[in-house]
Amino acid sequence: MSVTPPRSLVELFTGFLSIGARSFGGVLPWAYRVMVEERRWITVEDFTQTMGLCQFLPGPNVGNAAIVYGKRWFGVRGAVVAALGLFALPFTWVVALGAIYSDYASNPTLRAVVTGIGAAGAGFFIATAIKLARPLARKPAALVIIAGCFISVGIGRVSLAYVLPVAIAAALITSRMGRL
Amino acid sequence: MTLLEIALIFSLMSVISVGGLPAVMGEVQRIVVEQKAWVTAPEFVQLYAVGQAAPGPNVLIVSLIGWKVAGLVGALVALLAMITPAAIMTYWVSDVWDRFKDTAWRGVAQRAMAPLVVGLVGAGGFVLATPGSPDWRMWLIAALSACGMLFLQKLNPLWFLAAGGALGAVLL
Repeated sequence: MSVTPPRSLVELFTGFLSIGARSFGGVLPWAYRVMVEERRWITVEDFTQTMGLCQFLPGPNVGNAAIVYGKRWFGVRGAVVAALGLFALPFTWVVALGAIYSDYASNPTLRAVVTGIGAAGAGFFIATAIKLARPLARKPAALVIIAGCFISVGIGRVSLAYVLPVAIAAALITSRMGRL
Repeated sequence: MTLLEIALIFSLMSVISVGGLPAVMGEVQRIVVEQKAWVTAPEFVQLYAVGQAAPGPNVLIVSLIGWKVAGLVGALVALLAMITPAAIMTYWVSDVWDRFKDTAWRGVAQRAMAPLVVGLVGAGGFVLATPGSPDWRMWLIAALSACGMLFLQKLNPLWFLAAGGALGAVLL
């Protein structure tokens, strides 16, 4: 797949603006859709690897990705512009919603609709995990690590402070052995 | 003084929020609800739900807390404090990462990260769909929307969210 990075700061800004504007229920699936599928700025492998790096840095993952790609293409200016694009509309949205919701918070139907939207957004995460897992499907070691992370963090609700050191060590060792 | 407190607290949260907001959610709740008494525990949960219903990274819940405490300026200060320290660290680390592009250990590290990401993203979806005890109605909505994303790629995913809201009104 041939990819072309954005040619101008404006293009970078509008790209991240469109990620932020549509990312109801989770930003990651929209970051994938805009950067890999719609605008073809980066490859799937690039996306997975960058998100992998961002997962281990502090801060929101896609916010970090905005910094990484903005910087890669346009330096400091790019990093700032990409982050501004990503956060501008969601910030406006969330403050406006907060103001409206505090007026109608007692309405049970509204609460049910809001919760339903949240559940549908959760489905996007699961679909993204399945898409990203496809290249790993034939690697048993990868499946064990995926299951370990999912069960400990998702079901066990164990803090990342305990999960990450163990999972990173296990993944690095199996990767070094050529199993990933 | 309140603005300064908001800035300091969320800057600290920013630095330790490895993997994003979920890692520090409990700590934010402890400080904001128990220590500072800026919002009540039920209010905190509702703010989080509103944050989920808006687009964008879920760290935006901190701007709702800032807004509750100090209005629009509080919202801006909280968000900037939550993202700037982490952004500076990312800026620096990605530089180091690019410099070692062709070294063997970077390839090893990159291949190691892929399954971790898949597991954690999946766990994020599970946690989002399971806010309290497991509820088949939440899981059904999440599963339908996941299938939509996987098999109806031509359709704008916002339709799945709208459907989720409608199903929520009927089922929940």
